[in-house]
Amino acid sequence: MIAATELRLVLVTPETTLLDERVRSLQYPLYDGQMGVLPGRAPLVGRLGVGELRLEASDGRTQRFLVDGGFVQIKGSVVTLLTHQSMPVEQIDLAQAEADLAAALGDVPTSPEALEAKQQALQRARRMIALRR
Amino acid sequence: MASARILVKRRKSIRNIRKITRTMELIATARFKKAMDRASEAAAYTRKINEIVADLAQSDLSFSHPLLQQPAEEQNVAVLVLTSNRGLCGGYNGGILRQALPRIRQFEQDGKHVSLEVSGKRGLSFMKFEGIPVDQSHTKFEDKPGFDEVNEIAARYVAGFVAGRLDRVDVAYQQYLSSSKQAPIIETLLPIGDLAGSAGIDEQANGAAIDYELLPSAEEILEELVPAAFKARFFKCFLDAAVGEQIARMVAMKSATENADEMIRDISQEYNRARQTQITSELAEIIGGAAALE
Repeated sequence: MIAATELRLVLVTPETTLLDERVRSLQYPLYDGQMGVLPGRAPLVGRLGVGELRLEASDGRTQRFLVDGGFVQIKGSVVTLLTHQSMPVEQIDLAQAEADLAAALGDVPTSPEALEAKQQALQRARRMIALRR
Repeated sequence: MASARILVKRRKSIRNIRKITRTMELIATARFKKAMDRASEAAAYTRKINEIVADLAQSDLSFSHPLLQQPAEEQNVAVLVLTSNRGLCGGYNGGILRQALPRIRQFEQDGKHVSLEVSGKRGLSFMKFEGIPVDQSHTKFEDKPGFDEVNEIAARYVAGFVAGRLDRVDVAYQQYLSSSKQAPIIETLLPIGDLAGSAGIDEQANGAAIDYELLPSAEEILEELVPAAFKARFFKCFLDAAVGEQIARMVAMKSATENADEMIRDISQEYNRARQTQITSELAEIIGGAAALE
């Protein structure tokens, strides 16, 4: 079998399909770290984290997007990212992210669930700020 | 027979009304197209979620998620009614409220604690008229419900259900079946009865099973997938309702315009007759007067 050369990325949010195009490669945040995909990847279903989706388009340009949780499905040559919220990195609202961070820092958790929620909110806000800068 | 002048006046006012209904029809058509586009774009997400659920279902997992479990006792029930903010949309709100009201009464009869949530001014005024207390109300959902706003409500329901404060969530809305068919329906969204939905599983069963690598594990993916599937469905209710409202308004305004056309035709005919009679009688008077002079 010849090595697969095709890779298509579909980026879907609950409201709309943000991207549907052929790419050379992409990297996205999994729940525990960044993961890269090249053509010919074996099928996979995974949980996404918060972070940066970086893709190399078929014309060689690099695009960066924010991905906020969700799932990834790789099936054949198609990579589908299902995420709650996504936008190009340039469109991240820095002031809003900083306000979120401040709010999360000020939060005093009283239960294990609240603590977890706080840590997730902190991580999310910090990554958004780091991406924007 | 009414005098010609009065008929002219009436015809003019009907023409004005026709202009308004015609414009409203055009506006509703434009909004319907937009709402429809949004709904079909959002369908991609729901479809994918269902696909993943179906894929995972094949890997022989025992699904156990709090959102899937039927509580031992249904004591606290939440009913969400999605109506429109504006009227002039035919039987749209009436149909939904006719579905919702018996369900609420039934719950009350069974001695359950109902927390009623209504979206849309029409539904709110109906509940006020019926004397049913509304616990939460929304009037911000128009023809473009945003996921973030809907998600807030969904997250509240999920949290309530997981914590045991809620045992059941019903949603009454206009379901979109096709562009020519919508029906008011009341659905139980929590507990989630059939997770994959009937369509998802069937499609997958035909294709060869794909051996997925699961990261971190099937259980942990499911843990997040189940709420996501619920939220996607919940959001779809709002999108369907938005599309349904515009279709209902379009149809209502179309028939109003047609009625106005018919009335204008009838009145024109009557006016012509009245005018003819008037001329005839004037002529008869002149001829009579001339004959008297001879």
